[in-house]
Amino acid sequence: MDFFTALHISGSGLSAERTRVNLASSNLANAETTRTAAGGPYKRLDPVFQSVAANGGVGSGATPSTTGETEPLGVRVSTIVADPTPGKKIYSPGHPDADGQGFVMMPNVNPVHEVVNLLSASRGYEANTTAVETLKQMAAKALDILR
Amino acid sequence: MASEIEFRLISPTEATQGRAASQAPGPTKAGEGFGAQLTQAISSLDGLQTEADGQANAIAKGGGNLHEVALAFEKADVAMRLATRVRNKLVDAYNEIMRMSV
Repeated sequence: MDFFTALHISGSGLSAERTRVNLASSNLANAETTRTAAGGPYKRLDPVFQSVAANGGVGSGATPSTTGETEPLGVRVSTIVADPTPGKKIYSPGHPDADGQGFVMMPNVNPVHEVVNLLSASRGYEANTTAVETLKQMAAKALDILR
Repeated sequence: MASEIEFRLISPTEATQGRAASQAPGPTKAGEGFGAQLTQAISSLDGLQTEADGQANAIAKGGGNLHEVALAFEKADVAMRLATRVRNKLVDAYNEIMRMSV
């Protein structure tokens, strides 16, 4: 647990929050997507966070924590899950993806929800950068002892 | 789940001995000493600088993670500042000795 542990932890937090922003952007961009590789409309994606041992591994290289929770832990995105809630069904007979009765299955993305997610992720990112900033100031103070 | 830290009272000597016991470097071999430690410290400093350089290169080429570069630079910066301070201390000590009247 050296001085840079907190730096690694904040780094993992930054990575996780950035993934959250990526997913919120993906959801927003695909708010009207009716075709996907898997077939059917786009399903909104959500990250699942998991705590990992802060052994200097940032991002995918980190291993899940084994020693319980009495140590500083970093975070990583364990998996990305698709939201199974069915989306809106709108009547639009002219749409190329309309079914026999003229209904189109739309994605289950609520733009308002995604923007709130985006805001929360951005604030989370900010919080992590603040932690880094604080660590930086502490390092500067420690070095001032040597002056 | 938030974890809390438990503080306990220790004697002033335990404060330093506890650390020394867990991470004391082995007995110094002949020919190894302050110079060797200094060389090692400088090479690890160089390692941090090289890592930061590599990360910056990766960003310039369109890959990498912006915050990881920033953190690598931060580490390199702190290490560099520590090295500078240690160097200044050494020079001060040297000057102090040279000023001694014989």
